[in-house]
Amino acid sequence: MIRTSTLLLAVLLSFQLYAQPKQRKQKFNNQNTANKQGAFLEKQWWIGLKGGVNLTEATPQQRYSVLTATSNYPASQLQKKYTAFNKTGSQATLEVTFYFKGFSFSFQPTYRHSRFTYSNQFEWTDTETVGNHLLLNYKQENIIDYADLPFIVKYDLTKTKLRPYVHAGIFYSVLLNATKSVNIEGTDFASGGTNQFSNEALIVGATDLYNKSYWGLLAGGGADYNLGNVRLVLDISYQRGMSNVTNTSNRFSNDRLSGIGDAMDDMKINNIVISFGCLFPMRFLGTGFKTLDR
Amino acid sequence: MKYIITFLGLTGIMFGCANDPDPVAEKSQFVRIYDNTRFNASYYPIDVHQTSDGGFLVLGVRKLRTEELSSDFPGVYIMKTDAFGNFVSENLLDNTLVAPIAPILEVSGKYYFFCMKNLQTQLLEVDASGTIVNTMSTGGTYPSAAAVDGSNLLLLNYDFVNKQSVISIVGTNGNAQKSKAFTIGPNNDVDEPIYQHFLRIGKQIPFQVGKSGSGKYYFNGFYNYTLSLVFTDLAATNPLGVSNGQQEKGGFSQVLPLEGDAFAAARFNFGDNYILPNVTINTSAVSSVDKLGGNNFPELVDDAPIRIVQATIAGRQVLIYASNTRSRQIALFFYDKITSAFIGSHYLGFSNPFEVTNLISTTDGGLAVCGTTYVAGRFPRICLFKLSQQTVSASLHNK
Repeated sequence: MIRTSTLLLAVLLSFQLYAQPKQRKQKFNNQNTANKQGAFLEKQWWIGLKGGVNLTEATPQQRYSVLTATSNYPASQLQKKYTAFNKTGSQATLEVTFYFKGFSFSFQPTYRHSRFTYSNQFEWTDTETVGNHLLLNYKQENIIDYADLPFIVKYDLTKTKLRPYVHAGIFYSVLLNATKSVNIEGTDFASGGTNQFSNEALIVGATDLYNKSYWGLLAGGGADYNLGNVRLVLDISYQRGMSNVTNTSNRFSNDRLSGIGDAMDDMKINNIVISFGCLFPMRFLGTGFKTLDR
Repeated sequence: MKYIITFLGLTGIMFGCANDPDPVAEKSQFVRIYDNTRFNASYYPIDVHQTSDGGFLVLGVRKLRTEELSSDFPGVYIMKTDAFGNFVSENLLDNTLVAPIAPILEVSGKYYFFCMKNLQTQLLEVDASGTIVNTMSTGGTYPSAAAVDGSNLLLLNYDFVNKQSVISIVGTNGNAQKSKAFTIGPNNDVDEPIYQHFLRIGKQIPFQVGKSGSGKYYFNGFYNYTLSLVFTDLAATNPLGVSNGQQEKGGFSQVLPLEGDAFAAARFNFGDNYILPNVTINTSAVSSVDKLGGNNFPELVDDAPIRIVQATIAGRQVLIYASNTRSRQIALFFYDKITSAFIGSHYLGFSNPFEVTNLISTTDGGLAVCGTTYVAGRFPRICLFKLSQQTVSASLHNK
């Protein structure tokens, strides 16, 4: 019995001794693969397209006007009233992003079509014949196309399939085209009645009235959603212009606008930009386009 | 190190596009329309003058309000702007002072202009801020035109009692030193256009007075029933020479003396307008204006008011003509002074009507063009265009 027990123990020990190196090897192999995958997932290149809408706010810095107030003139009448974020523009973006350990460094050249409006109201009254007066409303829409060249740093808040992130960056915008449209509407109380009228819109090219470029800072957030091998992205940014967009030397150069009393204020442009797009990875593990990042 | 240099370079580019306002640029080029919220206010400039501080004095007429009407003549309006064209002050003179005439006359750093009080000519001295500092009665009725003659002033009057055009040399103290009168004809044939001119209810007669390159005094006014350019030495009873127009229907719109008896001139004839960048006028005999020819400008309004200045632009001596187009713009035409060749044009104003009053060369080498625009298509207001030297230069071809 003792011999039998001794033999069984020897066999078990021998199995144990035989099995232990194999288990160690398997564990080592699994750990190695995980490390490789982890190292791989630490960095990735993404490229893709985005598009969306934007809203614009123009903030005047120094005000200018062709119409100049003489002594009885309320200066407020000359100041343009800007309406913020009321006109929808659009944009298309090519995104190139390098991901590294939760951070992404992104270059996103964008064609941006933006719109903003301002208005003036002028009134002339008759001191001798009360009731005689004329009211004019000038409504101006500015349409500007820019090539934005932003450099953005993103930080992923989670490493889940749906990854919310925050981002911030700096951008440089190059003017491509600009037009202005002016609508004049009025009410004439001096023609024996109340006569409301509107003139045909004046549309002029305004590229020369804008500076060729400006720069700014941006911040915002968004979320990536990994869908198969591709990544869907939805983000929102607030772009804050940091330099004057008006071409100061051409402020009065447009006779059509000067003729109706318009001159551009010095102003900065801020945008809310909402984009949706799809990104594709540029680095894959093995064949079959498996990124393992899913 | 390479990355730092690249980063600094990019940062420099970004901040380099700050595009801050440039005061020099803002002085050199601007457009201003001086508005007033009064529905029934009317302002018409008659001259602009750059003051020593770089700002501008604008002399104008204003329609007197019903409650201050003392005569049917327009009142006097003086406006001061800074060098950027910003409104500084305005001076609506006492309603007894009426019918001011251009130009603002600068003698020894002081500014003067003529107007009328009880039909008698007044010489007013005004400082650079537009404030009246002295009023002097010079005698004579209906001042029509004025000019600087060295340290004195030249004045053309219409003597409505004796039916004469009177040319005088007036000191800055208001005393007439020398004068000569020439008949306009014994009847009342030309009274009507003259009164309409003064009341500003009809065509503005291009009255002018000055001294030719050969030293003869001249006036553009009525002589022998006709709007004529009359030359005199202020001694002889009869004119030395006369260039006759066609009553008030034809004559010189403006002349600018060049060398000798040569003039840069413009003339009108029954609505047509002609520009003569270099014409020799016979100052010693009787001649006819309509025989002088010239370049016809059908784009100008009938009997267009024309102003001429001489300037050096991009190293080139240029004659600049300013006038009103049928499309309600102010047109500037540039002629080479040496060759009399047409070398460019520039148009000002759009949307609302614009009419020229005067243009001057400014100290920065640019131009200031003063005129009237009709805000909202109806309210006459003073406008001032300041054109930079670069803008004016760019208007010239064959540079």
